[in-house]
Amino acid sequence: MALAAAAALGRLSLSCARSRALLLGPRSLRPAFVSASLPDRPAPGGRRVHLSASRCSNSKAASLHWTSERAVSVLLLGLLPTAYLFPSSAVDYSLAAVLTLHSHWGLGQIITDYVHGDKMVKGANAGLLMLSAVTFAGLCYFNYHDVGICKAVAMLWSL
Amino acid sequence: MHWNLDLPDHAPARCPPDHPTSPYAGRHCLRAHLSPRLCVRNAIPLGTAAKEEMEHFWNKNINSNRPLSPHITIYSWSLPMMMSITHRGTGVALSAGVSLFGLAALLLPGSFESHLQLVKALGLGSSLIYTAKFALVFPLMYHTWNGIRHLMWDLGKGLKIPQLYQSGVAVLVLTVLSSVGLAAM
Repeated sequence: MALAAAAALGRLSLSCARSRALLLGPRSLRPAFVSASLPDRPAPGGRRVHLSASRCSNSKAASLHWTSERAVSVLLLGLLPTAYLFPSSAVDYSLAAVLTLHSHWGLGQIITDYVHGDKMVKGANAGLLMLSAVTFAGLCYFNYHDVGICKAVAMLWSL
Repeated sequence: MHWNLDLPDHAPARCPPDHPTSPYAGRHCLRAHLSPRLCVRNAIPLGTAAKEEMEHFWNKNINSNRPLSPHITIYSWSLPMMMSITHRGTGVALSAGVSLFGLAALLLPGSFESHLQLVKALGLGSSLIYTAKFALVFPLMYHTWNGIRHLMWDLGKGLKIPQLYQSGVAVLVLTVLSSVGLAAM
């Protein structure tokens, strides 16, 4: 996964290195009929695309976000058996952080998919941030003042 | 028509302007491949960013008050489609559960121990307790196994259509087995 992500990032950064204009070869071209239906475009085989610096960094940021989402998912996957086999305070807090982050980003994607319009998106994301913050605070409070996540699951399961 | 796209499926740009809404406007872009119309996914004509294109699309369509074309009411459902939305549904449910737990920790008086004692005092039968545990662990297991399936796709593995169905069935079987097993612990 890391290789694939690095390759994807590499491809993006390559396009940004030549920041003024980029000539895309036929391999990264859209389907051939695009050129056919746009008569005033140049012949298939080359397309000049201008990437401003901000477009470049937006694209990089989005790509980095994507990779981070996968990294957090893998981390969370690893934490589950760890919490069972080696319950501890460190695992409690790690679980609280990783769980809330994974959940925050996941719900963020749902907002991006279904909520449209500038104001609505801003409002929804603000609400989500509040929810995630309160959730994280609650989990940390529980870890500190109460038995902690690992112990709590063990106690619940022994019912 | 043959699509020769270099960038992977997860690239940040979402479906460009000319597509009607679909539940998965972002991720799967099914419509793009069914419709023979222009779909310049990931193209950057004349420097407009994907975000601007998306905003333009939504402003145009919201302002024109056009009716939404039917999508989930008319397309025949497939296993991958159902599993995908279930993945999202279980994710939301699990997040809600975690948030409720966090909120309860902050707002409710009494320790976790005391709450457990309350439940014990109810004297619930063991089969009911097993059912409750199963109900808790089932969405978690589904989301976990399907999550691994997703990560495999992100690595570029198992994307052929038959493989989609095979891995889907495998996830369902694993979910049931692991849920039954964990609820019994």
